[in-house]
Amino acid sequence: MKSGEPGALVTTLEKALTWGRSNSIWPLTMGLACCAIEMMGTQASQLDISRFGSEIFRNSPRQSDLMIVAGTVTKKMAPRLKRLYDEMPFPKYVIAMGVCVIQGGPYVHGYSVVLGVDRVVPVDVYVPGCPPTPEALTYGIMTLQKKIRGETDR
Amino acid sequence: MQDFIEINFGPQHPSTHGVLRLKAKLDGEIVKEIEPVIGYLHRNAEKLCEMTFYADNLVYFDRMDYVASMLMESGYLEAAEKILNIVPPERVLWIRVIMNELSRIASHLVWAGAFGLDLGMLTPFFYCFAERDKVLEVFTEICGSRQETNYMSIGGVYQDITPGIVDHIEAFLESFPKRLEEIYKIFVGNDVFISRNKGIGVMSREVAIDYGVTGPMLRASGVNYDVRKAEPYLVYDKLNFEVPVSYKGDNLARFLVRFEEMRQSVHILKQAIRKIPDGPFFNPKAKKSMMIRLRGDGEYYARTESSKGEFGVYIVADGGVKPYRVHVRSPTFKNLSVVQELAKDQMIADMVAILGSVDLVFGEVDR
Amino acid sequence: MTADDSGQPNRGKDGRTIFNVDRDKLLEFMKGMKEKGYDHLSLITGVDRKDFIEVVYHLHAVERNEYVVVKTTTNNGVVPSVTSLWSSAKWEEREQYDLMGIKFEGHENLKRIFLPESWVGHPLRKDYDLGNVQYINMDSDGEDYATFDEGDGW
Repeated sequence: MKSGEPGALVTTLEKALTWGRSNSIWPLTMGLACCAIEMMGTQASQLDISRFGSEIFRNSPRQSDLMIVAGTVTKKMAPRLKRLYDEMPFPKYVIAMGVCVIQGGPYVHGYSVVLGVDRVVPVDVYVPGCPPTPEALTYGIMTLQKKIRGETDR
Repeated sequence: MQDFIEINFGPQHPSTHGVLRLKAKLDGEIVKEIEPVIGYLHRNAEKLCEMTFYADNLVYFDRMDYVASMLMESGYLEAAEKILNIVPPERVLWIRVIMNELSRIASHLVWAGAFGLDLGMLTPFFYCFAERDKVLEVFTEICGSRQETNYMSIGGVYQDITPGIVDHIEAFLESFPKRLEEIYKIFVGNDVFISRNKGIGVMSREVAIDYGVTGPMLRASGVNYDVRKAEPYLVYDKLNFEVPVSYKGDNLARFLVRFEEMRQSVHILKQAIRKIPDGPFFNPKAKKSMMIRLRGDGEYYARTESSKGEFGVYIVADGGVKPYRVHVRSPTFKNLSVVQELAKDQMIADMVAILGSVDLVFGEVDR
Repeated sequence: MTADDSGQPNRGKDGRTIFNVDRDKLLEFMKGMKEKGYDHLSLITGVDRKDFIEVVYHLHAVERNEYVVVKTTTNNGVVPSVTSLWSSAKWEEREQYDLMGIKFEGHENLKRIFLPESWVGHPLRKDYDLGNVQYINMDSDGEDYATFDEGDGW
């Protein structure tokens, strides 16, 4: 149940639930390459993502709601990424950070890079850039929060 | 016959600094044998370099050691410019030295923050990243990008540094040494940090050379070897600086060497910023419209001192517009291979500290 | 450039001394170099010259700061291993075996380092076909295998 079905009785409860859910997204540390450093930058003091309720980066998939795939997903890493995603409890969300994760980026002509993490796991928010700035990732997280609350940007 | 417990570290593990997998055999809490498994970030940069124009290959070099991309760029250009017979003007060499040293500071700060995290210290991480952001602000001002700068190009740099940028760098050099000492005090003032690093992971001089270890790790084992001194490139021979060496060879020595290197980088920057000569910032032979028509010949191996160690680029050209073969001598690849030797018969918690002290960046190990 | 038996040095474009050594005499020559004080094997690399493979060794005497290059050629991709002389050759030779397909005779653990064991072909060879895409998946033991079947891996 990601956005909540509109029902006469449960609407307000749903709203309260999604509001709470959207403001306590704990990300999984899925730092794979260059973007991981910018993800750490997002966590650090300049742009503290604790302000948005993403308080701690959890190292265990069982305790996290959000997988920020930061950095090139290689073919060798993809099965592990899939397994980690499967181990996360519902509801779970994925942010694809950087062009390598979105479609292969500069490595698109190579032999060992997965051309887009959406071939492996379903993606909720794409954050383009190589690497995206911490501000861009923060915006991505805010977009995901809106998505969880059932609001829309358009 | 004794049975060992086999455990698996990684590839997704907080203490592996990326995507390293370790197969460890344990006897209780003592590590008997570890086998690093790498290749989870193998992005075939060497193959892609053969398929790309000389000028465009910088993209892949930026993303090798992604925390010190300026160092990678100048390492590649050292070889590529010789292959293409393009001599950068004098001003460019000085700009490159300044960017290299700023990048070295940024890289060591990331390492210090991550090393603190490995040992359970959260505070230095915030301090280090706040300082690193100031370096990245300089990079943003000169090229518009924070981390993967793509600032240098064949025969020069992308754009000139203005007096405003020089002021910005000088303001950073004014404030940074004080903050660096503050960060240093957070580390060495912590008894837990000292006791977890002193005498742990001792690497002798012989083992270090045998495994091809270079950079701060080698200098922490008592070998005074720095490519900037041994085979000066750019204008390092015109600058006055010292190479920090420690004879202890343990984790703490590596920590101290890296911090002293940051102080020396500030020292180099202060000299270089005053000495930049006037002149053009690129060689007109390599102007943008000509860039993809440049043809190289022969073969060249250039080695430079990156923040991790000796970074070598070997280019073989066949007269075409693209390189025939590019090989990268990655320092962390060698530095990682010695871990199996260092972690033997250590506690498993110490193995994490040793891994942290190596300064791993997987973009460079796996390429 | 062909190998000559005399072991006479010449100079490369980068001003370094190059020794062209015959493949059969390589191990003996390297032993001599080690005894002369070249204690740091800086790199091993291979260049696919289409009809033969050139193997390049860079040796460095740390104390005296001397740097030499040793080159040898092989037609069938087999050269003697130098792991008995320098430990740093252990991973370097595995890397070159993986990407270039050079077999180092006498290496105790010669297996692929980046790619899974069942990967077909050596990517840095000039005749490697990038169009024939291979995929990687993980079996139940956590070991990787390569496959040509798109539905099996990523």
